[in-house]
Amino acid sequence: MMRNNFFRDNAALLGVVVILAVLGVVGYTSMGQTAFVRTTLSGLTLGALFFMVAAGLTLIFGLMDVLNFAHGAMFMLGAYLGWQFFTNPTFLFGLAPLILALLAPLFGWLFARLEIPEALQKSAPSLLGLAGVVVVFLAVRGLDILDLAKTAMVATMTAADPLAEATPQEALSIFWLRTAGMFIAGALLAMATSRPGDKTRTVHTDQVRRALIGAGVLLVFTIVATLFREAAPRAVLLWDANLRFFAALLVGALLGAGIGGAIEVTLIRPLYVRPIYQVIVTLGLAYVLREVIQLLWQPLAYQMSRPPLFSQPGKAENIFEWFRTNSVTVDVLGVTFPSYRLFIILLGVLMLVALALLMNYTRLGMIIRAGVQDRQMVEALGINVQRVFTLVFMLGAGLAALGGIGAAPFIPVQPNMGDAFQLQAFIVVVIGGMGSYGGAAIGALLLGLARAFGDYLALKYSLSPAIAEASTVIIMAIVLLVRPAGLFGRKE
Amino acid sequence: MGNDNILEVESIHTFIGQFHILEGVSLQVPRSSITVLLGRNGAGKTTTLKSILGLTPPRHGVVRFDGQEIQGKPAYEIAAMGIGYVPEHRAIFRNLSVAENLKIAERKKGDLDRKADFIFSLFPDLKRLYRLPGNHLSGGQQQMLAVARALVADNQLLLIDEPSEGLAPILIEQMMETIRNLSATTTVLLVEQNFIMASQLAENYYILDDGKTVHQGKMADLVQDKELIHRMLGTAVRSGGAG
Repeated sequence: MMRNNFFRDNAALLGVVVILAVLGVVGYTSMGQTAFVRTTLSGLTLGALFFMVAAGLTLIFGLMDVLNFAHGAMFMLGAYLGWQFFTNPTFLFGLAPLILALLAPLFGWLFARLEIPEALQKSAPSLLGLAGVVVVFLAVRGLDILDLAKTAMVATMTAADPLAEATPQEALSIFWLRTAGMFIAGALLAMATSRPGDKTRTVHTDQVRRALIGAGVLLVFTIVATLFREAAPRAVLLWDANLRFFAALLVGALLGAGIGGAIEVTLIRPLYVRPIYQVIVTLGLAYVLREVIQLLWQPLAYQMSRPPLFSQPGKAENIFEWFRTNSVTVDVLGVTFPSYRLFIILLGVLMLVALALLMNYTRLGMIIRAGVQDRQMVEALGINVQRVFTLVFMLGAGLAALGGIGAAPFIPVQPNMGDAFQLQAFIVVVIGGMGSYGGAAIGALLLGLARAFGDYLALKYSLSPAIAEASTVIIMAIVLLVRPAGLFGRKE
Repeated sequence: MGNDNILEVESIHTFIGQFHILEGVSLQVPRSSITVLLGRNGAGKTTTLKSILGLTPPRHGVVRFDGQEIQGKPAYEIAAMGIGYVPEHRAIFRNLSVAENLKIAERKKGDLDRKADFIFSLFPDLKRLYRLPGNHLSGGQQQMLAVARALVADNQLLLIDEPSEGLAPILIEQMMETIRNLSATTTVLLVEQNFIMASQLAENYYILDDGKTVHQGKMADLVQDKELIHRMLGTAVRSGGAG
């Protein structure tokens, strides 16, 4: 009885394992050990990256029914933020006070009780919004145009002397003007979005208090960030490079999560009643983010260097020796493979384990699993599902951003770097079943291996490399024919 | 000030999409009693429960719980004030274990530990099934789990939607017994198509028709009025099995 259930419940997983095992044996015998191991490791690396993007995507779709087309952009943002933090955080620390100043008044509903004369109510939001955008522009570029100040924009990277990167910035007195300008712009935008005159909107006193506290905290952060905008990057650049790399992973993931949270609260949340608009908003957001990145960093491709931990010259004979030598390549079963890519595989596995622990052993995970099936009932139990949505969106964005930084040392950092991953991640989600992170892991593994072995076959038989790309779609088609809800999807 | 009523609903109007589902429903639910909502399919019984809870918020009208106006609040706040909900179709979380289905209903840490004995005394089966995933439970067991889930937190009012639906006769008897026991400590607002079950459980009744409350009173009076029963609930009585 129990055994029957075991096979029935895990049919999809067992099926995949059997198919992979058969293909593995066929591949191993026909390709030979070296080619087989190398291709498998490449596939695992790709699969790990696919998983980092797809995990958030599948949770967000499963729980919130939001098809997030900006997820690839989060991957890209993560790569930029992590790369900048690792190589030259000056720019990030210069940007931070401006962003914080803009957010401080926007936080919460400070102007929810604003009184605006009846005659102006129709046009006020758009006028205020426009004014806000103009002030942002003035604060960022106006001072430069008037030739009052020069912003320290991105410096080119040289590995030799990290401190040379920390270019001297404009005087603090000038910089305060920018911060103040951003604060005013934020206030204008907050007024514009406060829906003046909307009588149907009730604001509770404790909400206003919480908003005030939040805005106050952000204001303090703004001041601190302004004062330390030159000292902080210098300090970071003096850290050990390995420490800086792991800090970059953390910073990028946290910033990605923060940006994700801001996106959910401001753009996604008002549109749960109009799901099709959400799709369009995320699609538009992907383009906007890409343009903003191009504006800030120019449409160039950057290369992030690997941390010293993975870049000492030479080859380690095995993984254990690598711990001592930190060499750039490691010998795995007779194949010379970049040690950094093994780290990516490890990162993907760690992420899967962490996610499994979160989903199975915490209350948040329980609520997410329940919410994927029946949101309304979760809410009827007295649980604020809206807040869980925000957390899941942050989690998903953070994971994608982490994936982006992880990928930055071996794929070019450029504005469209996330697009291909997003497309593959959508296929992974469909294969694995919406809302199942385990399904996403299996799907990512399948696609990663398919891409790697497809590339190998294409090269060997001089076929078009399009074969490898098409293989993922073919897998999706086969899975959907056999199980229309995906491997781990629930048939409702 | 009507403090004998734990719940008061004053002519609520609820829209789902563009459809005007409730066109003025009014109810008064006295404390520590069982009140039943009767009516044909599509009369608006389920929507009434969902409107009270804020899952389909009413556009007009007043809902008062324990003397406080609650209409327009988010559903999670309303539920957290002490309202338990047992939805129709045994809507348990099938991908969660029995234990998790109960655990997720905790509003304070330790709710489940305090209530576990009480819940297992009502539904001894659940103890045996505690570690199983919800989708391994039979229909009757799922229904019991759905009721048990509403008992984990300290709820003053239970909204129970068609507990007898799809249950075998012997399980219906058990369910009735359980609900009768519950009404000793809490108030129950019940939606029930099975008139036999409803008439044996409830003290007060409301009949909905086309989204309006059309009749109300004591159940003891209704069972005498065969003509009204037949006119308002004709199909429901027949499907109830007796005559």
